[in-house]
Amino acid sequence: MTATIARRYRGRQRVKDRFISIFICVFALVWIFPIVWTLWSSLRPYKEIRANGVFSAPESIGFGNYSTAIERMDLPTYLWNSLIITAPAVFLTLLFGSVTAFVVSRYSFRWNVSMLLLFTAGNLLPPQLVFIPVFKAYLTVGDWLGNRRLFYDSQWGVVLIHVAFQMGFATFVLSSYMKTIPKEISEAAKVDGASVFRHYWNVMLPLLRPPLASLAVLMTTWIYNDFFWALVLMSNDSKRPITSALGRLQGEFVTDYNLLAAGAMIAALPTLLVFFILRRQFISGLTLGATKG
Amino acid sequence: MGDMDRSVLTSQGFRPNRRQFLIGAAGVLGAGAFMSSCGGSSSLSFGARTVDESPTTQLKGLISAYEAASGNTVVYNATESNAFQNNLSQYLQGTPDDCFQWMAGFRMQFFAEQGLLTDISDVWDEIGDQYNDSYKIASTGLDGKQYFVPQSWYPWGLHFRKSMLADLGIDPDGIYDWDDFLGMLDGMKSKGLVGFAAGDKGGWEAMGTFDILNARINGYQYHVDLMAGREQWTDARTREVFTYWEQLVPYMNDNVLDLEWDGAMQLLLQRKAGAMLMGSWFGGNFLEQSQEDYDDLWIIPFPEINPEHARDTIDAPIDGFCVAANGENTDGGKDLIKFAGSKEGMQAMLDTGVPMTSANKNQDTSSYDSFQKQQLAVMDEAKYITQFLDRDTRPDFAGPVVGPAFQQWFRDPSSIDGILESLQEQWDALPPL
Amino acid sequence: MSVTTAGEPRSRRRRRLSSRGDRATLGLFVGLPTFFHVLLVWLPALATILLSFTFWTGINFSDITWAGVDNYDNIFFSTPAFYDALRNNAIWLGWFFLIATPLGVLLAYQIDREIRGHRFYQSAYYIPVVLSLAVTGIIWNFMLRPDGFVNGLLGRDIDNAVSFFGNYDINIYVIMVMASWRHIGYIMLLYLAGLKAVDPALREAAAIDGATEWETFRKVVLPTMRPVNIIIVVITMIESLRAFDMVYVIYGTSAGLPILGILVFQNIAGEGASMKGAAYAVILFVLSIGPIIAYLRQQFRQDVS
Repeated sequence: MTATIARRYRGRQRVKDRFISIFICVFALVWIFPIVWTLWSSLRPYKEIRANGVFSAPESIGFGNYSTAIERMDLPTYLWNSLIITAPAVFLTLLFGSVTAFVVSRYSFRWNVSMLLLFTAGNLLPPQLVFIPVFKAYLTVGDWLGNRRLFYDSQWGVVLIHVAFQMGFATFVLSSYMKTIPKEISEAAKVDGASVFRHYWNVMLPLLRPPLASLAVLMTTWIYNDFFWALVLMSNDSKRPITSALGRLQGEFVTDYNLLAAGAMIAALPTLLVFFILRRQFISGLTLGATKG
Repeated sequence: MGDMDRSVLTSQGFRPNRRQFLIGAAGVLGAGAFMSSCGGSSSLSFGARTVDESPTTQLKGLISAYEAASGNTVVYNATESNAFQNNLSQYLQGTPDDCFQWMAGFRMQFFAEQGLLTDISDVWDEIGDQYNDSYKIASTGLDGKQYFVPQSWYPWGLHFRKSMLADLGIDPDGIYDWDDFLGMLDGMKSKGLVGFAAGDKGGWEAMGTFDILNARINGYQYHVDLMAGREQWTDARTREVFTYWEQLVPYMNDNVLDLEWDGAMQLLLQRKAGAMLMGSWFGGNFLEQSQEDYDDLWIIPFPEINPEHARDTIDAPIDGFCVAANGENTDGGKDLIKFAGSKEGMQAMLDTGVPMTSANKNQDTSSYDSFQKQQLAVMDEAKYITQFLDRDTRPDFAGPVVGPAFQQWFRDPSSIDGILESLQEQWDALPPL
Repeated sequence: MSVTTAGEPRSRRRRRLSSRGDRATLGLFVGLPTFFHVLLVWLPALATILLSFTFWTGINFSDITWAGVDNYDNIFFSTPAFYDALRNNAIWLGWFFLIATPLGVLLAYQIDREIRGHRFYQSAYYIPVVLSLAVTGIIWNFMLRPDGFVNGLLGRDIDNAVSFFGNYDINIYVIMVMASWRHIGYIMLLYLAGLKAVDPALREAAAIDGATEWETFRKVVLPTMRPVNIIIVVITMIESLRAFDMVYVIYGTSAGLPILGILVFQNIAGEGASMKGAAYAVILFVLSIGPIIAYLRQQFRQDVS
């Protein structure tokens, strides 16, 4: 390839690149527009929109809708519910995922591969497939143990089902990552006479920080955003996390949609914050098995 | 109040219709026992089926009055109406509130059959004299016991703004039959307005129109039989309902499937539509808007189509309360339901200022405003009452099958024959109850 | 048993796996998660499959009666809504496969090339993924309702608004746009993660050889990304079959847009509950098995190697 031809290719490429850049840029703005619009609506009082129309120039901008939303929609309760469901669920998922991945990748048993398959397949099952038996099981076991509300209509029931479903993905990611950790480290630990527990706790776990961090971010987002399980496994609306409660709020405030916009923005805030703060860990920790070189 | 002599026959699917009367005084003992046995105060929970402002005010008024009268504390749990209905089966099996808001008809009888509702015949023995027989019949389960206490009812009729009709020079009482009705619609259309506001996004709203057209054209008995599966959807008589319905389509808004009932109401509220067939519950919404809007609201019975049946039938669903069998404090629930069904309870709800047409005889109808009096007049004209399609027929048919079928019809009215065939096929394929 | 490094004569001093404490730990490590997983996922799945062959309202255990294949019969021969749902899921799958996923992949590739502002784009396109579907439903409702943004832009009022959700000819595509809004960002991020692991030397070599970016992508990057490609394909299929949340938020259980997920919920929840819903769920499961197995085979191959 002569230098001139290579240069011409690069020149043409640059033009193409410019087009692509502009295209992507414009679309990125289009992409976030609906969110911006909702944010904008949330800052304007509904009375104004009703009187002057959707595109009217703003007379008053402010966080009035937000304070009203927090009061009337009982948002603190729902956000708290989200917290007490998401935090334990993420913690348990990572715990279970890491111990399983640890055993499967560091100790070879015959059933290692089948275990992995079981977990990953389980992760992909549609939730609608299991919900009636789970519902009945929760009630029955609750009755046996004397407290109907032990699993049904309780945060723990929702936590457990989340853990059961998300475990597979955590196991998969962590075991993929562990494959990239040299076996020598584990061998050294065994030579030093470490017990299995110490092997896990003191040797492997500290090395797993990157994928654990990104998994934590992903899991938090998924579990926080879940809509289905809390809807069907809880009967008391005031125990539901905010995402399931939004359905109720949409029914209640259907006409005052600026207020609803404020509520939706508040509901979206936690995951947005988590995403922005932990953006870097997000991508770097996800090893999906693409081969190097 | 008012001798409302009409028969309320609830269609019971595969069971025969029969009038239910009090069975034996024996089971009535001790009705007063639980009232006086509560030495201390207890705690119970109440489940509301709505989160809308006006009904919530009303219910909270009831609850506070009860708490004051009985000394018990009540936890108030509200769920949005669709979510409540979708979850009811799980709710009742699991951890229901002691007393909750529900509807009369097969919907109630079904859950009573499954053992999920508490028998409250003893409560009826105490408060039964405050209700007409027809309400008691509507509150009775398939086994002859009562499981429901009525709170309020509302008729389904043609609503419109008096001022808009006055603009056209039409007298509301002058709209008696189908031709009068079309004449009014023409008038609205000539002014560039939507004549007949309709919304069917929720899948149930259009059932009201079907019910009333069927009852007007083919009569009450045919309608009841169709709901119970004794008549065919493919019958020419059923087909005729749609012929008439299609005449209304040119006067409807374009986006029927994009609006739910409140969207259609908005059209009326904003003076963009002339008339709407709906239940009268939304009076409160008009009142929220302004007193003038509420005063402008009026209702008349749906016009006569077949002189043989005149205007003798009306959809008037009854809303009320039930006591759950799996609640934690069933006695408390019964106590609350007794209060709710009594004069005091009714008065507490009326005192909140939200308009309500109570089922209780004791409501002083002289205090009704003119809109409520008109609702009463509309009801009085009817001899037969139905509960609305999704309460009168099997729930696994109404929601999943009939709802989509009507929505399908709105998309393409000419496909009616195929739709009716499919409806009949799906009815025939339903598993035994 | 545990593989040790070759021939260490001092093996006696090393803790062997036969130590009780170690075995207990391992047992617990593996046993507890598996117990929960099997208990809450696989056993219920099996139960639902069995229940799909019965008549039951889901309330009293004593009411379960054997139905054989009646529920399936009902679905296949007496429920036109089923075929509408299949059609809609197929459109969903087609759209995701041919439009949304490829766009996500191309987007990932461009962002990986670190064009100007790539960090901003990364976030902008990914934000919809971070939002709950309930919030997404509300946001798009604002945009597309009769009194929302788009209709306002077109100058239409509530009575003559463009019926985005109510017009059944276009509503599937409206939902597709909403679903893609989320899906593209998701695929983009997954692919990006994979791309970061590709050796840059490969791409440099291709560039030196005078290949255009497109050729580099097609002939160099894409083949190396095979494992990730498979993941992307599987996720695309699963997401389009499992779809439920977004449609539920807009339409509830009314039949505005029948898809398999909604049909399951409609028949298994609420007052008309029957095991027809379980049959729908099983059909959903069977359709999902194809991609699940493809995914597992790819994993298995990897693990063996």
